[in-house]
Amino acid sequence: MQLKPRPTVIRRGLIAASCVLLGSSGARGQEVVQTGGDAETDGGQIDWLLDSALAYYHENGRIQAIEPVVSIRKDDGAGELVNFNLTYDSLSGSSPNGALPSNKPQTFASPSGKSLNAAPHTYTTASGQTSVVSAPIYTTSPGQLPVDPKYHDQRLAVGGSWQIPWSRLTNASFGGKVSYEHDFLSLAANASIAHDFNQKNTTLSFGINDETDAVRPIGGAPVPASDYALFEKSGNKSKNGAGMLLGLTQVMNRRWLSELNLSVDRFTGYLNDPYKIISVIDSGGNTTGYLYEKRPDARTRKSVYLENRVAWNRASAALSLRYMTDDWQIHSDTAQLRVRWWTAGHDQYWEPTVRWYRQTAADFYTPWISSAASSYLTYASADARLGAFNALTYGLKYAFKLNDALDQPGSEFSVRLEYYQQTFFNKLPAPAALQGLDLYPGLRAILLQVGFSY
Amino acid sequence: MTFSAMASPCELLLPATDQADAWELGMIVAREAWRVEQKYSRYRDDSVVAWIHRTRGKEVEVDAETGSLLNFARQCYELSDGMFDVTSGKLRQVWRFDGSNRIPEPLAVKRLLQYVGFDKVQWRPPHLMLPAGMEIDFGGLGKEYAVDRAFDLLAERRSAPFLINFGGDLRANQPPPHGPWQVGIERPDTDRDAAMVLELERGALATSGDSRRFLIKDGVRYGHILDPYTGWPVVNAPRSVTVAASSCTEAGLLSTLALLHGIHAEAFLDMQRVRHWIFR
Amino acid sequence: MNHRRLRRLLIVGSALLACACSSLGVKPWQRDILAREDMQLDSEPLDNAIDDHLYFSKEASSGGRSFAGGGCGCN
Repeated sequence: MQLKPRPTVIRRGLIAASCVLLGSSGARGQEVVQTGGDAETDGGQIDWLLDSALAYYHENGRIQAIEPVVSIRKDDGAGELVNFNLTYDSLSGSSPNGALPSNKPQTFASPSGKSLNAAPHTYTTASGQTSVVSAPIYTTSPGQLPVDPKYHDQRLAVGGSWQIPWSRLTNASFGGKVSYEHDFLSLAANASIAHDFNQKNTTLSFGINDETDAVRPIGGAPVPASDYALFEKSGNKSKNGAGMLLGLTQVMNRRWLSELNLSVDRFTGYLNDPYKIISVIDSGGNTTGYLYEKRPDARTRKSVYLENRVAWNRASAALSLRYMTDDWQIHSDTAQLRVRWWTAGHDQYWEPTVRWYRQTAADFYTPWISSAASSYLTYASADARLGAFNALTYGLKYAFKLNDALDQPGSEFSVRLEYYQQTFFNKLPAPAALQGLDLYPGLRAILLQVGFSY
Repeated sequence: MTFSAMASPCELLLPATDQADAWELGMIVAREAWRVEQKYSRYRDDSVVAWIHRTRGKEVEVDAETGSLLNFARQCYELSDGMFDVTSGKLRQVWRFDGSNRIPEPLAVKRLLQYVGFDKVQWRPPHLMLPAGMEIDFGGLGKEYAVDRAFDLLAERRSAPFLINFGGDLRANQPPPHGPWQVGIERPDTDRDAAMVLELERGALATSGDSRRFLIKDGVRYGHILDPYTGWPVVNAPRSVTVAASSCTEAGLLSTLALLHGIHAEAFLDMQRVRHWIFR
Repeated sequence: MNHRRLRRLLIVGSALLACACSSLGVKPWQRDILAREDMQLDSEPLDNAIDDHLYFSKEASSGGRSFAGGGCGCN
C-alpha cells in the first residue's frame, strides 16, 4: 500500500477544535431535512466510503474471468484512514500449457494428475520411455495451440490497511492481504512511512513489504525440467518475497503533480508455473515429448516509475512511465496515458486511456527445446508471459455522479471497456515441421467493468 | 423574543412557554450576545480586540476565553492550510465594499499583505505577541460563537425545545412538539419569491454570503470575500453558502471556507461530507 | 516507441523532479485544483487494482505505483 498525500478533509479536526472551544456541546449531532424550494447543491454526512466494481474479462478463444471487488474506507479527517477490501475472481476457459502446436494431434493429462476415475493412457517420454497414467486427458488437434480446455480457478482475497498520523507532517501505514485459491495461498504484509516537506509540497515515503506464498498444485508440484510423461511430483512448495519502495511526490504548480517511485524486490523459492510444459522437438521440428519448465529459484527486480498529473478546468491528464529490469534479463517499458473530460455540469466524465507496453524475453525463455539440448538444460520456460512482446491497451471509461440522486456526495456509477492485445517480436525461425503453424499466437482480450461508489 | 445585536436581528424561539420564563431566557441570550459583541467587536474601542491592537507589538497575556478563541483560530488556520486567517481583516483598509466602483490600487493591496498572515503572530498560550501594524479580527467567528455560547447557557437551564437565531446563524436543541423548525433561507439576487425551506430538528445552520457587500467596476463584480494570499476578492465565489453541522461555529467556519474556495466551493463541501446548500 | 528513448525520458524526468523540489510548489491556499478528485494519485483505486491484476497475470512486470508482488497464483 502506498501513502499518498491526501486532500484535507478537515471536518473531524474542525469538530475536535470546536469541542475544545465550546466544551462538549460542540459535537452534539444534527439533523436537517430540506423541503420546498430547490438548491443547486446538497450534501450528506457519512464517514464510510464504498467502492465496488464488477469486471468481466474475456480472452479471444481462451480464458474468461469474472471479478467482483468491494472496498470500504473511512477517513476521519484527522489523518487516520482505514480500508478493507474483498476480491473474488473466477476464471474458466482454455489456458495454454506452454507446448507448441504440432502437425499431429497431441494428448495431455489434466493437471489433476493421477486419478482413479479416468482411463489409463500411455505417455512416451522424449527419450522413448513409456508410462501409463490414469488421468483425465485433453487432446489438441493438429495445428492448434495446446490449451487445457477445462481450466478453472477461483480466488478469494481479503486485505486491509490502516494509516495513522505520527505527527503533523508524518504518517505511517500498515497493510496486509490474504489470497486463497485451492492451489495457492498468499500472505503479504507491508509498512510505510511518509513525511511532508516544503509546506506539504514535497512528500517522501519509504515502504517495505513481505510476502510468503504456498504453492500447492493439484497432484503436487512437478520436478522442474523433468519429463512430462514421467509425472514426477514433489509435493507442495513455497516462495517468499520482500521489497522496498522509495517514493517522492512533488507539487510542481497549481495544476501539476509529479510522483517518482524507485522500487526493488526479490523473490526466492519455487518460482515455476507448475502447469506449464515445454515441447521437445527433434531436428526436423517434430514434437517428441515435453519437459516441465524450470526457472531459477530467485528473481530480483528493480523499477523506476514516474507519474505526472495535470489539470485544466474541465479536464485532467495522467501520464505514467515505468521501466523495469530484473536478473532474468527481462526489461520492460510501460507508458500509460489517461485523460479525463468532465461535462459542463461537472457531473459526468469520459476517460479514454491508452497503454503501451514492451518487454524483452527472459534469458531462459524458449518456445521449444531441441532434443539434443534437453539433456543439459539449466533453466527453460516456454511461458508466453516471459517472452518478448509488445502490448497495447485502448480503453474508455464513462462515469456519472449520483450525488443528488442518492443524497450522498462522492457517489458515482461508472462503466469501462478496454481492449488489450499482445504481439510477439523476436520470433525464432521455425524448424521444418513447424512451418506454417502459428507458434506465437499472442493474445487479444477485452475487459468490461461496471463500478459503483457510495 | 427578538433583539438586536452584532448589526443583525436576533431572535430566540421558545414554543409553548409563558411570558415570564420567555423574558428571562431571552435576557440570558441577549446578554450573552451583547457580551460577546462588546468583547470581540472590531468596531468598539472597549473590546479585547481593540486592546490587543493598542499593544503595538508587545507581548501580552490574554484571558482564558480569548485564549481559547485564539487556539481555535490557529487550529482553523492550520486545518485550512492558511485559507482561514483571522489576521486578514487588515485588508479592509483598502477594500471598502459600498457598491461603488472604487477598487484599490494593486500596489496598495500588496503593501498591506506584509501585515497579513497568522504565521507571523506569536501565540504561546496565554501570551500573545501581535506584530505592530497587524490586526486580529474575530468577525468571521463572532456571531456563530455567540450562538453556541448562548446555546450552552440556555441548554443548562432548559431542556424544552428552543432555537437561537442571530441573523441567519442558528442552532436548535430539539424539535418543537408540533414538528421540526421551519427555517427559510433567502435566495440572493433572484426573482423567485419562495425562499428555500429547511426542516431542522436539531443542530446548527450557518450561512455565509457574498450578495450584500460588493464593488462593481467595468462590469466586473468584486465580492467582499478576500483571498488572504493575494489580497484580492475570491474569484467566482458562490452568492450564498449554507452549511449544517452540530455547532454553529463549525457550520460557520465551513461556510466561510467554502466561499474562499470560490469556484471549487461545491467540491470542497462535498469532500467534507456535510449537508450544504449553495446558490450562485 | 523506442524503449531506449522512453528510458531516457524517464531519467530526465526523474532528474528534473529531484532538483526542482525545493523551489517548486504552491502556497497552502492554492491547493484548490490539486484537491480535485481526479488529481489524487489514487483517484481510481479499484480500476488500478483490477488493471494491475490483469497485467500481473499476463506480463512479466508488476508494481511501480505501489508494491510489486502478486498475491495470486496467476504468476
